[in-house]
Amino acid sequence: MSHLDLATTWFLAARAMACGGDEPSIAEEAAAGLFARAILGLDEASCIAAKSAEHMQALTLIDCMSMAGRLPRGTADQVMAGVMMIAYAAASMQPLQVRWASMLASSMDMTEERFQRCCVNARVIASMLPHEQEAVGG
Amino acid sequence: MGEMQSNFDFLQKYDDRVAHLAAQAEAYVHSDPDSALFKLRLMVETMARTLVDMQAPELVDADLAVMLRSLQRSGLLSRREADGMHAIRRDGNAAVHGHDSTTPTAMRRLKDAWTLSRWYARTVRRGARVDPPAFHAPPPPAGDAAQRSARARAEALEEAVEARRARTREALLLFGDADDLKAMRWRLRGELRGLEFVAAAAGEPVVDADFVAVVMAMDLEQILEHPAWGRSSREAKSAVESQFEAFKSAHAAAESEYLANRAALAREGRPKG
Repeated sequence: MSHLDLATTWFLAARAMACGGDEPSIAEEAAAGLFARAILGLDEASCIAAKSAEHMQALTLIDCMSMAGRLPRGTADQVMAGVMMIAYAAASMQPLQVRWASMLASSMDMTEERFQRCCVNARVIASMLPHEQEAVGG
Repeated sequence: MGEMQSNFDFLQKYDDRVAHLAAQAEAYVHSDPDSALFKLRLMVETMARTLVDMQAPELVDADLAVMLRSLQRSGLLSRREADGMHAIRRDGNAAVHGHDSTTPTAMRRLKDAWTLSRWYARTVRRGARVDPPAFHAPPPPAGDAAQRSARARAEALEEAVEARRARTREALLLFGDADDLKAMRWRLRGELRGLEFVAAAAGEPVVDADFVAVVMAMDLEQILEHPAWGRSSREAKSAVESQFEAFKSAHAAAESEYLANRAALAREGRPKG
């Protein structure tokens, strides 16, 4: 899978998670990008291209689940952990977010045990996120 | 702009202290950019304290970053204003900690401060019509050829760094500044509700919603001490720590290089003797 495809899958999944809850703060938003760069190893250009309006506007969450289903297992686990990290970073999870996590996990053919492992990693990562705008150069 | 006028004169009737700090920064912008940035940082801190006092008085003695975060969470501070305030905080802190600044840096933050001032006046005096004249950059002293050259290079450096920071920011944030957040949120929430109906009709998947909710309640300390999950969680934590550190170090190195270049240009641009 190309960097652009992975970035697209990630940012669509992350946006859905963020929009399912309260409006995310700048720090929570930056956490999604930090995760993409540091954990998924995506480059700056792919992150920017994936989020461009022309690229994103035609895609739905069904497309996202389809792309997520094609991810290699290790990468899928990372994406799931990142999505759960967004909920942990905000310290709350609303019903639409719970549903999205559940649907995404299913599209990745996750077992309960694998999902639980992703959540454990998400919890650990969320505890290490920067709280200020340092991540966005602010 | 006349000799005795300041871009911040309009602010006096809303907050005299803030207006005074801004005017001082404006006066120093060419002669002493470090002091200008210091004054601007103090100005932002004073603004934040006043706003926090209106929203969450218990935080009025907190650190500036904490106050700004609280104002953002309360919705009083939008992303745009927060960006401006954080930029002044960052460059003001650098000046306080002995990093030489240049006029182009101070001038950009002065312009940010002017934009923030209009918003601040409208916020502290609700309903007030705040319509100051356009911002006029204080004109530079003539200087010699070497000073003019250093100033031009400092301007070019500042442009390049601002472009790099903007690109980093664009890559990191979940939504772009140009995105219509409201429309995007409405669309995605609509799709999520659609998925909810699908799940209800098709039956719960293996990882069901109840299970997600239970896992969400897990406590970090319990995870790290868990007999089955503990060891691999500690390993995962350590791996993630090093990945984050590598990423942050690369950015810190780029910022350090910028500060060093800027300091060299600042020294070059100072009047001799």
